[in-house]
Amino acid sequence: MGRLAQPRFALSSNDAAYPACLRDLSDPPETLYVVGCSELLRPGLGVIGARRATPYGLESARRFAGWAAASGVTIVSGAAIGCDRAAGCAALEAGGRSVAVLGCGADIDYPTASADLLRQLRTSGAVVSEMPWGAPPTRWSFVRRNRIIAAFSAALLVVEAGLPSGTFTTADFALDIGRDVLAVPGSINHPESRGANRLIRQGATPITDVSELGQALEVAGLCLSAADDPLLASAPTDAIGRALLADPMRPDDLARALELDIVTVARRLGELEMRGIVVRTRDGRYAMQSASRARV
Amino acid sequence: MAQATVYAATIAGVEALPVEVQADVSSGLPGFGIVGLGDTAVLEARDRVRSAVRAAGFDFPNARVLVNLAPAPLRKHGTGFDLPIALAILTATRQIPAALTQSATAVGELALDGTVRPVAGTLAYALAAARSGHELIGPTATLGAACAVEGLACRSLDALQDLRRGALGSAPLCSSGTPAPNVPDLCEVSGHAAARRALEIAAAGGHNLLMVGPPGSGKTLLARRLPGILPALDERERLETALVHSVAGLDESAVLAGVRPFRAPHHTCSVAGLAGGGSPPWPGEMSLAHNGVLFLDELPEFSPSALQTLRQPMEDGSLTLVRAEGRVRYPARFTLIAAMNPCPCGYLGDPERPCRCADGAVRRYITRIGGPLMDRMDLVVRVDRIDPDLLIAARPGESSSKVRTRVLTTRDFAAGRGGLAASLGGAELLSACRMRKRTSAEFTRTARSQHFSGRAVTRTLRVARTIADLDGAIAVDSSHLAEAVGYRGLEAQWAG
Repeated sequence: MGRLAQPRFALSSNDAAYPACLRDLSDPPETLYVVGCSELLRPGLGVIGARRATPYGLESARRFAGWAAASGVTIVSGAAIGCDRAAGCAALEAGGRSVAVLGCGADIDYPTASADLLRQLRTSGAVVSEMPWGAPPTRWSFVRRNRIIAAFSAALLVVEAGLPSGTFTTADFALDIGRDVLAVPGSINHPESRGANRLIRQGATPITDVSELGQALEVAGLCLSAADDPLLASAPTDAIGRALLADPMRPDDLARALELDIVTVARRLGELEMRGIVVRTRDGRYAMQSASRARV
Repeated sequence: MAQATVYAATIAGVEALPVEVQADVSSGLPGFGIVGLGDTAVLEARDRVRSAVRAAGFDFPNARVLVNLAPAPLRKHGTGFDLPIALAILTATRQIPAALTQSATAVGELALDGTVRPVAGTLAYALAAARSGHELIGPTATLGAACAVEGLACRSLDALQDLRRGALGSAPLCSSGTPAPNVPDLCEVSGHAAARRALEIAAAGGHNLLMVGPPGSGKTLLARRLPGILPALDERERLETALVHSVAGLDESAVLAGVRPFRAPHHTCSVAGLAGGGSPPWPGEMSLAHNGVLFLDELPEFSPSALQTLRQPMEDGSLTLVRAEGRVRYPARFTLIAAMNPCPCGYLGDPERPCRCADGAVRRYITRIGGPLMDRMDLVVRVDRIDPDLLIAARPGESSSKVRTRVLTTRDFAAGRGGLAASLGGAELLSACRMRKRTSAEFTRTARSQHFSGRAVTRTLRVARTIADLDGAIAVDSSHLAEAVGYRGLEAQWAG
């Protein structure tokens, strides 16, 4: 691995540049290792979620992180596979700013699947860690890392979480230091949504669209510039399109729910797939392609 | 000096080759020898024949007995030579009239008490006898199957003792009332609308089908019902398939009644078990599934080398084994139905149980099957576990006979158009689709934007052709293509 060209520095807790928000923690990191811009080390919107994400979770992460980033809010995330990475990518795609907090050294590309994202963040955002340069990832370091994500979040948005889930530790840290916890509600049927729904039952603010997110961010003390919802859905016309907009579904379930013949459903799905409007997920369900929500 | 010749046959592949059994009884030191490249079972005939002849009340000549099996260079296998050897010796010593065996092929194993026992491959022997214009002599138990061969006279011989009465039994009457074939019915499957549709398309077009789903979702249940919606075997197919079963020593009566075979080898099956092999060569599961269904459950668990042997028969409809003692050709034209879990733990995408597999592990599991074999799976369909509430509330599904009627109509339509879609390829397939310019332009655009491989295009077109056949449509239109796109393989989801 070559040496990184980007600016890198270590901030000890005595430094004037040491982020004030970290002092809210009961055990703030002694030293914070940073690659990238130091200006970004202010509270932003934390976006976290399951690694084994469903299309719905990825879609929510992209949508809300993309919108918040476009509105000038820094997106803080863990660069993990799944929702975290989707949030980071969406922030950069929207031309916004993003910070990744790692559980290994800030100069390590981990997870490897996020290497591209991390490279971009080191140039145009920031990658931080309390682990020294070159420290390998360990199991416990990720739980410790979560408290830093919480500290950097003026508000913490949980886009998708199953049960049990590592996102709960981050949410707990956030509550301990008085940060707002927001959650995207999921289907009551899907096991991968149970965690997020439970957070809402326990008092997290449900976020169902960007205006609600905007209000929640203002309450948390972040100022927003105006931005459009990039994925605002226009009303889809046919029943199958509408059903998929709500939830990814299997052809059998669609046919039963809509009381349609399987051949009709199969042909319509094939047509939508050919036009790139729906995609088949790895678990055999059909989901609305994110970019095409407005086109159905 | 006394000589006699009786006709027999030996099995090579699924064919019985005629063999002359020549007996020579001459003065000299008493002894009994068999020459002519027989295997151990043939050589052991000496002791069985001697005891059986005596037990039946005949004399075994106290002289030098030599039996030659001609043509001598041909290797001969099995115990079917017992009876012809005994008949040849009895004829040579004039204990039975030569006219009895003059134009007959005899086959049967002898017990020490003179009883004639059945041997595997009667149907092959019957065909060989019919080809040489002979009648077939054998035990009654095996002659039932031989009735399937037209124009063949059969005579039964259940014990050597019967020869002392001087006459053989006349041909047993063919059992015309065939037993009602017991094939599971589709109406026992509720739900699974998409998978049922895929099964119907597979039956109508002769396509191979891969079912992907968690354990206990009903993949095997569905697969077992495929033979019930396929058309019955026609005369030629019956004989071809029954021949393989007969040679393998399996009961061929269901096949002769027209039921397509359904073979479901376990995933520990070896290459030889699947393709055939051994010494003497023995047909494998692929050949036993000839004109029927080969069902491979847990596809990725089969050894890669066993899976690769599927490829040649799937192209050629037969496979040739080349061994030290020569080459044998076994027919193997089957519809492959395969089932697999979506991931190593089996629960990827299951609504109830979470999957514990890492992405890489799932990818490795799926790629174990290998591209060339995956390319031959025209239809890939997801089969999911049904919610218990729905299972209980669901009305029984459509019965096999109804689906079968549609399959028959579709196959007739396809035959009128130029043949089943599964066997089409290249330019032939394109012309069979008769797509309008706009449809084909649209499809080309999709194929490009969705990164279809060349094979994926062919498979989609084939399936679309069958879907159009099901609709009774001469031309494939965009709705047929749209449905076909949904049955594309797993590579679509695992690309990138």
